Amino acid sequence: MNSGSNGTVSLSEWVENYTKDLYSWALHKVSDRELAKDLVQDTFLVAAEKLTSWKRESSPKTWLFSILNHKIIDYYRKKVRQPVSLENQPESLFFDETGDWNTNNRPGEWDEEGKNLLDDADFRSVLQTCLEALPEKWNTCVKLKYLMNKNGEEICQELDIAPTNLWQMVHRAKLQLRNCIETNWFKD
Amino acid sequence: MHWLFLSCLKATELIEKKMSFRLSSKEKMQLMMHKAMCEACSRYEKQSQLIDEVISGQAPKTPSEGEVNLLKQKILSDLDVAQK
Repeated sequence: MNSGSNGTVSLSEWVENYTKDLYSWALHKVSDRELAKDLVQDTFLVAAEKLTSWKRESSPKTWLFSILNHKIIDYYRKKVRQPVSLENQPESLFFDETGDWNTNNRPGEWDEEGKNLLDDADFRSVLQTCLEALPEKWNTCVKLKYLMNKNGEEICQELDIAPTNLWQMVHRAKLQLRNCIETNWFKD
Repeated sequence: MHWLFLSCLKATELIEKKMSFRLSSKEKMQLMMHKAMCEACSRYEKQSQLIDEVISGQAPKTPSEGEVNLLKQKILSDLDVAQK
């Protein structure tokens, strides 16, 4: 493969061959179609710019995926750095000043006879709706935790945040999510 | 308060910590004690695990053929512009 005058030719082949895989991957990681498309477009722009630095030892596919993964992590890193507004402190919504559950938000019983919630399509769609209703930053944390296939330490390292921050953010997100599910699914 | 006793706020925080990281022996003891006495937090733990399982078990969405083709065209025109 030549760079320079043939660069365009090879790149368009790559677009043809790898767009689908790159897009599926990005979609899985960020679960937002428009954003996933943007990330893939950016990936190819970066590839075009850096084509001369591409080393033939790695396959084009590996190289493109590594660019895309950088883009995905960058996206999450920026997200997590955005400050959370204080009005959205949910702890006080769920717990009183001594740290006990508020009566209204105390977790209720979810078990329903013979029902496996894990396989229940309605339950999953309620969960999805509640996930989307989360404030953006918490939504990001939850996505990160589940979609990046990484353990806590790795996520903290990549995002350059302290472990305490991560699980506290997940905690807040979880409290909201749990409450939203209970309200929408069980108290209909 | 005795060091072994946690508030529900603290206990649920530890439950989340436990799912992403490890708890110290002290934290494990505290959480065990708390759950033995607190039905609401025991439920919280079960529900939180269920939420985790449902989210991580969600099948990846597969993009449609048409969507991918549109994206390819967009990228190619991007690249065209970038080359000029």
